[in-house]
Amino acid sequence: MIVLGIDTSGYINAVGVADGDRVLADFTFPARTNSLEQIVDNIDSTLKNAGLDLKDVEGIGVGLGPGSWTGIKVGVTVGKMLAFSTGKPVAGIPTLEALAYGARNESPLVCAVISAGIRDTVYAACYRFKTNEVTREGDYFAGAVRDLVPLIKEPIVLVGSGANQYRDLLINEDSSLKIKVKALETTPSGAIVACLAAGRLERGKSDNVLSLTPLYLKESTARAFINKYSGGA
Amino acid sequence: MLVLGIETSCDETSAALVVDGRTILSSTIATQLDLLKKYGGVVPEVAARRHTELIGYVIKEALDTAGKTLDDIEAVAVTSRQGLVGCLMVGVAAAKSISYARQVPLIGVHHIEGHIFANRLSNPELPVPHVCLTVSGGHNMLVYVQESCRYELLGTTLDDAAGEAFDKIAKFFGLDFPGGPVIDKLSKLGNPKVFNFPRPMIKSKSLDFSFSGLKTAVINRFKKDIALNYALPIADIAASFQEAIVEVLVAKALRALEEKGLAALSVTGGVSANSRLREVFQETCRKKGIDVFFPKLSLCTDNAAMIAAAGYARMMMGERSDLRLNVFPNAPLGG
Repeated sequence: MIVLGIDTSGYINAVGVADGDRVLADFTFPARTNSLEQIVDNIDSTLKNAGLDLKDVEGIGVGLGPGSWTGIKVGVTVGKMLAFSTGKPVAGIPTLEALAYGARNESPLVCAVISAGIRDTVYAACYRFKTNEVTREGDYFAGAVRDLVPLIKEPIVLVGSGANQYRDLLINEDSSLKIKVKALETTPSGAIVACLAAGRLERGKSDNVLSLTPLYLKESTARAFINKYSGGA
Repeated sequence: MLVLGIETSCDETSAALVVDGRTILSSTIATQLDLLKKYGGVVPEVAARRHTELIGYVIKEALDTAGKTLDDIEAVAVTSRQGLVGCLMVGVAAAKSISYARQVPLIGVHHIEGHIFANRLSNPELPVPHVCLTVSGGHNMLVYVQESCRYELLGTTLDDAAGEAFDKIAKFFGLDFPGGPVIDKLSKLGNPKVFNFPRPMIKSKSLDFSFSGLKTAVINRFKKDIALNYALPIADIAASFQEAIVEVLVAKALRALEEKGLAALSVTGGVSANSRLREVFQETCRKKGIDVFFPKLSLCTDNAAMIAAAGYARMMMGERSDLRLNVFPNAPLGG
């Protein structure tokens, strides 16, 4: 099944195409001004470079975040509206799962970790790989890097951009961390999102195209705005 | 030509189908009233998340109501200029995707131009040239509409828009958000002559507006009473405050007409739904032989039908946007 995969939740945006688990195209670009300007144009050129047309795409995979709240909204909206407009099924893929998947041969347990925008805070999730199955272990994590330490109970590989930095922070936070923590600097891959989506779609597990929901992992800080409006003017 | 219009510039998610910039087949608007009341106003991130949730539903609803599918859509028009950046982005992301998937032209539209067209859509007999007073919570402008899509900005607000002033005063007195409709209703029970609030810049030659002085005057007059929990004649306060705003808006609009030597006036935007504003304009304009036009109520507040109409007009002039269309939250009206 030919699937288009996109993820615009990070600084590096990704577009890829896969036929089942076979990669046909994989393209990344920095979202300089913002993802919005470039993403649809880049979907078009990635397909063309792979000798494909949007008509050939049989399913759409969309990175759901976490990451940049703005980036997530752009990607999820583009993904769901492309699916709606072409009548093809859509599968939402958590960004952390796609990141971890890239390191599935490094270790049975992989922790994907990305910056949450504020100093030393991260979004993270751990995934266990068994032959062809990937399952998340534990809840999604959104908080200070130091609070990840008690969650690490066996040798683990950290992935994500900034993985080296987070490994250093973890070790500094808890110098008694005896468990082996390895780090791999990785960036998102649209092809991986496409592969993971193909896996779900081939098993008939598609998401509702209209209600496809992003994974922000944090509420917006509305308190500042409540204060601005209260007390008169 | 059947145009799909999309509008997500503030807190309303809207899609509409309009034929030849004239005939509205459907206009779907999802408001965020529950969020507005919860936070007492528009929180940009919260609004943008809600747009992302609703955009697909709203577009589908607009298509279904019109009895059309995406196969019938010949172009997509979307608000891309003026508004909240995160909110605008959702509409543009959706519009681009549809334009690309269906291989139909795309046009980005300025939100205020949408409001100017709302009245032309609602009143096809509105002549061009005319003067347009467009007022909402987010903008307060006098525009000389020289030709279709050719504008000269005559005046704008130096601080608060009139709609914003309504919101802030309503909030101050513990009334609902948005403030305009609530104050409009209350004022019908009140006497506008009880309190003599300032009419800022009413005598000034400039066609600019300023409402923060009026707002401050009202607040200063009553903040002690509120702190001491006194019962207040809220209907009279509302009526007097509203009257001050209405007088300023009417005076400036008439001055603009005089300056341009025109007798056709368009009053549009959310605040144009205000019943007292309509009443005073209609009476005053009748006496002076001026033709005044108001959009029907559903076209006063933000909506995608006006965007479809404006987009159609621009496309007929040969304009197009490409797939790199970006958002510009503070773009001037231009044209």
